[in-house]
Amino acid sequence: MTHVSIKELTKVYPGATEPSLDRLSLEIPTGELTALLGPSGCGKTTTMKMIAGLLEPTSGDVTFDGRSVLKDKPEDRGVVMVFQNYLLFPYMSVADNVGFGLKMRKVDPVEIKRRVGEMLELVKLPDLGDRKPSALSGGQQQRVALARALIVQPNVLLLDEPLSNLDAHLRFEMRDLIRSLQQEMGITTIFVTHDQEEAVVLADRVALILDGRMKQYDLPDAFYKRPVDEATARFFGGHNFVPGTSDGCRFDSPLGKLTLPEGAATGQGKLTFRPENVRIAPEAAGQNTLNAVIADIIYLGTQTRLKLRVGETEVDAIMNPNEVETFSVGDTLPIYLPISTLWVIR
Amino acid sequence: MTTKETLGIRSFRVLTGAVLITWLILPLVPLAIWSFAKGWFYPDLLPRNWSLRAWEYAMSDTSGVLASLWLTIWISLVATFLSVLVGVPAGRALGMYKFRGKEIVELLILAPTIVPGIAVVLGIHSIFISLGLTNSVEGVILVHLIPTLPYMVLVMSGIFANYDPAFEAQARSLGASPLKTFWYVTLPAIRPGIIVGGLFAFLVSWSQYILTLLIGGGRVETLPLLLFNFATSGRNDITGAIGMIYILPGIIILLLTAKHLSGRSGAVGGFGQI
Amino acid sequence: MSDRMKIFLLLAPAMFIIVVLFFGGLLTGLMRSFNYMPVIGLTDPDLSAYVSVFTDREFYLSFLLTFHIAFTSTVISSILAIGAALLLRRSFVGRGIVNFLFQINLTVPHLVGAIGILYLFSQSGSFARLAAEFNMIQSPSDFPALVFDPYAIGIILQYVWKEVPFIGVIVLANMQSVGEDYESVARSLGASKWQTFRHVLLPLIFPGVLSASVMVFAFTFGAYEIPAILGANFPAALPVLAYRKYTDVDLAARPEAMAMAIVIALLSAVMIYFYLRYSRRRIRG
Repeated sequence: MTHVSIKELTKVYPGATEPSLDRLSLEIPTGELTALLGPSGCGKTTTMKMIAGLLEPTSGDVTFDGRSVLKDKPEDRGVVMVFQNYLLFPYMSVADNVGFGLKMRKVDPVEIKRRVGEMLELVKLPDLGDRKPSALSGGQQQRVALARALIVQPNVLLLDEPLSNLDAHLRFEMRDLIRSLQQEMGITTIFVTHDQEEAVVLADRVALILDGRMKQYDLPDAFYKRPVDEATARFFGGHNFVPGTSDGCRFDSPLGKLTLPEGAATGQGKLTFRPENVRIAPEAAGQNTLNAVIADIIYLGTQTRLKLRVGETEVDAIMNPNEVETFSVGDTLPIYLPISTLWVIR
Repeated sequence: MTTKETLGIRSFRVLTGAVLITWLILPLVPLAIWSFAKGWFYPDLLPRNWSLRAWEYAMSDTSGVLASLWLTIWISLVATFLSVLVGVPAGRALGMYKFRGKEIVELLILAPTIVPGIAVVLGIHSIFISLGLTNSVEGVILVHLIPTLPYMVLVMSGIFANYDPAFEAQARSLGASPLKTFWYVTLPAIRPGIIVGGLFAFLVSWSQYILTLLIGGGRVETLPLLLFNFATSGRNDITGAIGMIYILPGIIILLLTAKHLSGRSGAVGGFGQI
Repeated sequence: MSDRMKIFLLLAPAMFIIVVLFFGGLLTGLMRSFNYMPVIGLTDPDLSAYVSVFTDREFYLSFLLTFHIAFTSTVISSILAIGAALLLRRSFVGRGIVNFLFQINLTVPHLVGAIGILYLFSQSGSFARLAAEFNMIQSPSDFPALVFDPYAIGIILQYVWKEVPFIGVIVLANMQSVGEDYESVARSLGASKWQTFRHVLLPLIFPGVLSASVMVFAFTFGAYEIPAILGANFPAALPVLAYRKYTDVDLAARPEAMAMAIVIALLSAVMIYFYLRYSRRRIRG
């Protein structure tokens, strides 16, 4: 279908000194579901609008299957954008909303009616065609917006924070719906979100944008296992960063000499490991075992967060509540950092 | 949407914008020129001789223009003051409470904003004759309340709809008397509404013609009446000078408030009565 | 104090003024139009004023002319106001000044505008002089009659001048509160610029346009001083005719004036109905 390629895309709004988006490059393979992830104001929605042709880039290029689309009008690009607040036309019925794109293409009304019916089946709202959007719940409005976008069979689908306005229980339902429709129709899909959970749950690949620049473009789990830098790791909930030196096999730091997995970076850097990967050391302690003092215990219901001290270094750990029931603040706790969970940031 | 536009579309935009703005200013131009003209005869595009004669006349004690100006200011100020006094409580009731018959009250208040003055003033004239209010400044002020009061109420009900009375409760619980609560809590919160509504009320009263003409019976000669008389008697230079004086308050008010007069405010309808 | 009592006391002064003055005036006018005025000994209501009004050719001509003025002015002003709002909604250099100039005549009374139009468009006015300058006319009488004319062109010009910014400001605020995202959605769903305007922006701002137009229609139907300055003597606009009848030396003409006032009031009642219908819809969106 459509391979989307973004090259050095930059947007400086008139009157602004800093670019809202700074030379973003991205390859989105045909049919993939890609997340643009970043805090609000990082240039995600700006990027989407430039792909959709609703905003003119300051420089850079957007190509579909190798052809630049910057000169194409928004209605000719085959890109449909679904906004965060759905923006269903309030004066039209649900069916008229869904059929809007076909009506604009002057499709025969009988045909429109048929396809609207099919589409409403697909998003599981078969009986609501005559309602006004204001009579629908948020989740239903979201489906109608999705149906309205998919009915025109776009080459590229853009979703703005597709799950963020939904209740927790609706999120997974909507995630499944979006994924199944997207896979079935094979539409190259890009969505933006500020919520890392939303990104990893929904996307094939995630592009993290911080301060208008792309930090990392990778598979979802890579952001937890192999973050490119501290900011990226922190965005994904990373807490432990220990400065030191790596020789590729061992990491020399205030925590002592720790064994690294194969292929670790060398030189000055920071060792990072996720709080949930910190374990209590088994009886037969081996390498990467440390003695920590418990500074604080925070009970979170399904898990317990521990603030630990190893010498002068603070270490965050998340454990199963049952494991740490018997410990209290001030106790010494032997901990173990599994080799495969360590990662060195240069 | 910031998308590309061609040079052609852009110049079309600029050109139509320029024509529009010119058209909106244009009718004021001959009035301004006339006020400085000493005879301006067909087919001269501009007066051959310029003079301050019309302005000197308008500013002299004998012409009555200044007396009329003070009278008009006085009538508009009193009408505004009364509108504020009566309109603020009514706005509070409509903005903060839901009650049975509210729609009817709103309709009664809305009606005078749409029904033209001529439709009611003839009947009012009959009433005022029996009350001895015709040909008097008091009668004119009273009849000006018909167009001014509804806008005051509309503006204030908008303000009170976004006003949280919990602030007043908080002040009372901190020991403020009702009067102090009003002065230190309520008034500062609603002051912008009073200012905007009051300026509208002033301008609406300022521009009344037919109500003043009938109820004042020609004896209460406000500026618009004077202006009308000079315009229909062919004294274009004096008409020009009075016209310039007459539009001054409105333009000053616009200069001061242009940023606050968003069309979303219920008050903008008041412009329809000016 | 109960809430009901509080509401009553808060509303009482305003309601008193509006009911006594406005509705009292309306009712008195209605009674007098039926020749019913017990205070001065008229106790037998009749329809004679309406009969003489509705059998008078001048009334019909006057009514048609007034309707023509109000309708034409409202339609032209609304269309131009939408165009102006489309121009002004974009951001551009000097927008503040242009906005100020756009709003400047909002505070200029209609009467001043009417005099300005008179000086511009009369047969010895500025445009006639300009035409003479370019030898397009030989004498003032060659210039087309645009004021005191049977088609009320001058009156309509004045209203268009005054009401375009009025409706424009309301429409502009409407557009701003609607935002541009609905249009973005429509464009990305494949609507052209024109389709987006026609199927998305226009329906969204229509209620606002309509309620502003209703106010303009009612005002232009009932205004006195503008047709008095710019209108022909015969037929005169309805408010002018009513005023003439009312101030006629023959006091017997007063009930006829009242009957005309009631006609104007009835027409504005219809306008209020439309206004409520659409402004409510706008609120409930």
